[in-house]
Amino acid sequence: MYLDLHSHSVSSDDSRATVEQYVKWIHVLRSKRGYTIDGFVLTEHRKFDFDKDYSQLATEYDVLIMKASELDTRYGHVLVYGVTEGLAKDIDLGDVKMDARELIKAARHHGAIAVPAHPGRFGIGLVDYMDQGETFPDLEIVERVNGGSRAGENERAAALCDEHNYLGTGGSDAHLASHLGSCVTSFPTEVRNERQLVEALLTGDFSPVWLKDVN
Amino acid sequence: MPEQNGPYFEDVDLGDEIGPIELVATDENVTTFCELWGNPMPNRFTSQEIAEKSGLPGPIVPGVMSMAIMSQALTDWAGPESLKDLDLVFRLPIPHNKPLFISATVIDTRQEEGNNVVECDVLMTGTAGERYVGGTALLSLPSSEEQ
Amino acid sequence: MTMELEYNRDLYGVEHEAGPFEITAELIQTFNRSIGESSPMYTDAATAQAAGYGGVLAPPTLVTMLVRNVELPDIDLKFGRMRFHAGQRVQSRAPIVAGDSLMASSHLKEVYPKTGRSGTMVFTVWETTFTNQDGVVVADVQESYASRE
Repeated sequence: MYLDLHSHSVSSDDSRATVEQYVKWIHVLRSKRGYTIDGFVLTEHRKFDFDKDYSQLATEYDVLIMKASELDTRYGHVLVYGVTEGLAKDIDLGDVKMDARELIKAARHHGAIAVPAHPGRFGIGLVDYMDQGETFPDLEIVERVNGGSRAGENERAAALCDEHNYLGTGGSDAHLASHLGSCVTSFPTEVRNERQLVEALLTGDFSPVWLKDVN
Repeated sequence: MPEQNGPYFEDVDLGDEIGPIELVATDENVTTFCELWGNPMPNRFTSQEIAEKSGLPGPIVPGVMSMAIMSQALTDWAGPESLKDLDLVFRLPIPHNKPLFISATVIDTRQEEGNNVVECDVLMTGTAGERYVGGTALLSLPSSEEQ
Repeated sequence: MTMELEYNRDLYGVEHEAGPFEITAELIQTFNRSIGESSPMYTDAATAQAAGYGGVLAPPTLVTMLVRNVELPDIDLKFGRMRFHAGQRVQSRAPIVAGDSLMASSHLKEVYPKTGRSGTMVFTVWETTFTNQDGVVVADVQESYASRE
């Protein structure tokens, strides 16, 4: 199945897209453009929306909608899938200077998984920090394909994956509805919720793809 | 009621794309805009030297002007009275004298408080796909049934 | 820890007024020329009058140029060395035509931090409402400025 693992709704301060607009856009991708896309993950900036329930929209449009976070760290942005109340108690999701290494460890401790976002992004991506000598021993997965990347940034992420044998995900990083689904992560197994998403990522059996290349 | 030159609400569908419309903001356009705007010149919008002192590679198109240009692309398509809301984020400095591409994608159509609303994502990009400006627009279109 | 911002919060709820701004046909034509606008409703009085307006219609973003005439106070934000225009929103509430006289009223809407490509930034948002000579609100403009470390 194809899931966009990186998107932002109006719950993030820099997005203009509502979740309803996203599900309608999925409908456009499926019915008018002939793409297969099963769902998306809302990775809101510096927060986790424990109180938001999108199940009615998901059922109405037959779209899997999952929730996650994109947290700021001193080593760039990190997507966290499978956020639990325990994790949110252990770390301050709004701390923009947290250590990504601590976040990676805390996430695993609480059954979640931390994936550095757009590591090839110039200036604030993981690649730059690793070039400065920082190491991330517990890291296994990074976002290899990001739909918001500028020229050269996804290539830097791919080189990082190849050099360190990191697994790679794909996500649009949509902040506007029509950008959702530009790139996705392909899973051979079915994912129905956040817990199963973490399990699927832990198996290592997934790959990033541009939606236009797979349909 | 004026003749409707743009589309009727019923003509518009989710996923429809407008553009890309190609244009160039020339030095002369920006100078004229700044004169009207009342921004004392020379400034970073008109002077290479002042732009460089501000950390820019060259003079840039004012955000206010880029909004006017994007608004024009939308009203050219939907009609001069159509634009009700334009909400933009200025992501990158916009250069003078280089091709700019404006595009919009219809992401929702709905009837709201008696209006036929079309919602679009709007983008201004450069030749290498640089996203200079992005945002959303709400347009109100007439219904063909009202004619 | 979540970032604590230091600035003058007393500015919330305070309106800063300016005007009147006379919307002349000449002003509209100069605006049109600077962006290459040629729609007859914006350029030809006869076309606009045939549509029921008293004069040429002003393009919807013309009011955004007037905002800089409102004298806004320094919010005394203790953050950042550089400041740039990060975003803008215009909401058209009613037509603006040549001959209108507009008043502007601005207030501080919000101040919030965000981390992006170039590090942490603080956004300051001002909202300006334009009202015509008949007391009709014709447009709201929000301007967002980012301060960067």
